[in-house]
Amino acid sequence: MSYHFGRGWSKLTPYLLLLPGLFFYFLISLGPSIATFFFSFTDATGIKGAPVNWIGFDNYREFLFMGRASIDNLDALKRTLIFSFVVTTVQFALGLLVALIVNQKLKFTNIFRTIYFMPVILGVVIQGLMWSLFLYPLGGPMAKLLALFGMRSEFLGGQPAEAFAWVIFVQIWANMGITMMIFIAGLQTIPVELYEAARIDGANAWQVFKNVTWPLLTPSVNTNLLLNAIGSLQAWQLFLVLLGYRNGTQVLGYLIYATGFGQTSGSVTSTFRQGYAAAASIVLFLLVLVIGMTLQTFLQRREKRILG
Amino acid sequence: MSTQTASKFKSRRIPWDVIGSYLVMIFFALLYIGPILMLVNTSLKTTPSFMKDATSLATELHFENFREAWIKANFPRYLLNSILYTFSATIIYILTAVFVAFPIARGYVKYSGVILTLFVIALFLPPALIPQFQLILNLGLYNNPIGYILLFLVNPIGIVILVNYIKTIPKELDEAAAIDGCGYARFVWTIVLPLIRPAVATVIVLHAIGIWNEVIAPTIYLTNKNYYPITRGLIVFQGVYGSNWPTLAAAVLLLTLPMLVLFLFLQRYIVSGLTAGSVKG
Repeated sequence: MSYHFGRGWSKLTPYLLLLPGLFFYFLISLGPSIATFFFSFTDATGIKGAPVNWIGFDNYREFLFMGRASIDNLDALKRTLIFSFVVTTVQFALGLLVALIVNQKLKFTNIFRTIYFMPVILGVVIQGLMWSLFLYPLGGPMAKLLALFGMRSEFLGGQPAEAFAWVIFVQIWANMGITMMIFIAGLQTIPVELYEAARIDGANAWQVFKNVTWPLLTPSVNTNLLLNAIGSLQAWQLFLVLLGYRNGTQVLGYLIYATGFGQTSGSVTSTFRQGYAAAASIVLFLLVLVIGMTLQTFLQRREKRILG
Repeated sequence: MSTQTASKFKSRRIPWDVIGSYLVMIFFALLYIGPILMLVNTSLKTTPSFMKDATSLATELHFENFREAWIKANFPRYLLNSILYTFSATIIYILTAVFVAFPIARGYVKYSGVILTLFVIALFLPPALIPQFQLILNLGLYNNPIGYILLFLVNPIGIVILVNYIKTIPKELDEAAAIDGCGYARFVWTIVLPLIRPAVATVIVLHAIGIWNEVIAPTIYLTNKNYYPITRGLIVFQGVYGSNWPTLAAAVLLLTLPMLVLFLFLQRYIVSGLTAGSVKG
C-alpha cells in the first residue's frame, strides 16, 4: 500500500516506531518460546552463572522411561488428558445450554448473564479461595447440600481422585461464562427470519435447534472447542491455589513449574531442574500440537460438510 | 393474576418452557452467588462461631475481621504494588502495541503479513517459562520490579484485535491527513487513536486484568515480600491464616468487592475482547 507520510528517510518512521513492540515480543515471548527446545537438551539449573551442558535426549529419556518418577510423569500426562477432556466437554455442553436459555426473550436474562460471567474478572486466586471456603468439609455449604442427598465428600482434602474432581468442577465453574458469551455472540448472528421460516414450516423446538441453530453456530462451536481444549491442557493455576503440589493430583503444567522452580506449596519439594522442566514443556507442547491439529482438521472438515 | 393475563393471550397452557428456563437460570445463579454470600457471611463471624457452625447466619456483625485482614495481610503495600505493575505495564504495552498494529493493518511496513503471523504463532509455541526465567536472571532483573514489569509488555491477542479494528478505518483518512501535512506519528497519535478507542479499551482491560490476577509470575520472580502483588500476598496470607476463615474471608472479600464493581463497568469490553473474531471463526 502506498505510504503518504513523506518520502526518503521519513518512510522509515513506521519501522522505527514498530520496533519497540516487536523487540519486546521477541525478547519476552517468541525468543524464549523457541529457546525452550534448546534448553530441553541441557542440564540447565536455575542458578546464575552455573555451567550449562549439552546432554542430548537424556531429559526426555528420564522423563518418559526412567523409574518411579517417569511413572508419575506418565500419570500426570494421563491426568492432563482426563482434565482437558472433561473440562472441554462439560464446559461446552453447559455453556451452550445456558447460552440458549439466556438468549431467549425473557426478563432479567441480562442479570443472569452477568452473574455467570463474573468469575472471569476475579482471577484464579479469588476463585480458588472462594471455593476452598464453600467446600469447607466440616459443615460448609456444599457439605450440607450433599448431606441432604445422603452424600458426603472430603472435598479438596479427600483422596487424590476426589480432590482432582473438585478442581475440575471449579475450573468449569470459573470459565463457563466465557464459553457462554462466545455462544451468545454466535447466536446473535443467526438471522431471525430463519427461525420464523422454520416456525411457519411447523418445526418444533428440537427441530429448529437441530436444523437451524446448531449448523449456523458452527463458528462458535469451533472457537469454543479449540479454545477450551488447548486452554485446559495448559491450565493448572487452580491446582496451585486449591491443592498445592499434591501427589496423585498433578497435571503436566504444574509438574513443569514444580521441577523447574522447586517452589512447591505442598510437602513435595524438588530442586531447580530447568533443563528437565524444559523437556517436560516440550512434551506438553507436542500434546497440545497433536490434539489441537487433530481437532482443527476435524472441525474444518465438519464445517465444510455443513456450511459448504 | 398472572395466569389470568397469560391465558388471555396464550390459551390456557402453562408456559413450562419459561418456568423451566427460569429454574435453570436460578440454579446456576445460586452456584455463582453462593460462594460470594458464604464469603460475606463468614467474614462477619468470629472464629468460634464459624467452627461451631460454618453456615449459620452471622448474628452480630464483626467488622474487626476486615481491619485485622487489612493490617495483617499487609494489604496497602501489596495493593500499591499491584496497581504499579498493572498501570505501568499496560501503558507501555498499549503505546507500543498501537504502533505495531497500525502499520501492519495498513501495510506500511514490508512483510506485514509475516509479522502478524509471528504474533499469532506464539499462541501455539511451547510455554516460554524456563528460558524467560533464564533471561530475567541473566539480565540481573530477578526479584526486581522492572524485570517483573518487563514480562507483561507482550500480548499477541491484543495486537490481533487492534489490527482487525484498524482495518475498518477508511484509508482515505491517511491520505487526507498527509496532504494536510500531518506527520506519521502525530497522525497515529491524534487521529487514529481516538478512532480506535473501543478496541484500545478492550485490549487495555483484558491486558490489565491478566496482570492484576497473575499468580505464577510473582511466585517465580519476586521473592522479596515488599514487591509482592496482591495475588501473591493473599496466597501467603492463606498459608499463615488458612484455618482462620473469618479473617481470610474478610481479606478475600476486600479484594473481591472492588473487582465486582469494576466488572459492572468493564464487562462490555471484556466480552468484546473474549469474543473478538470468534463469530467469523
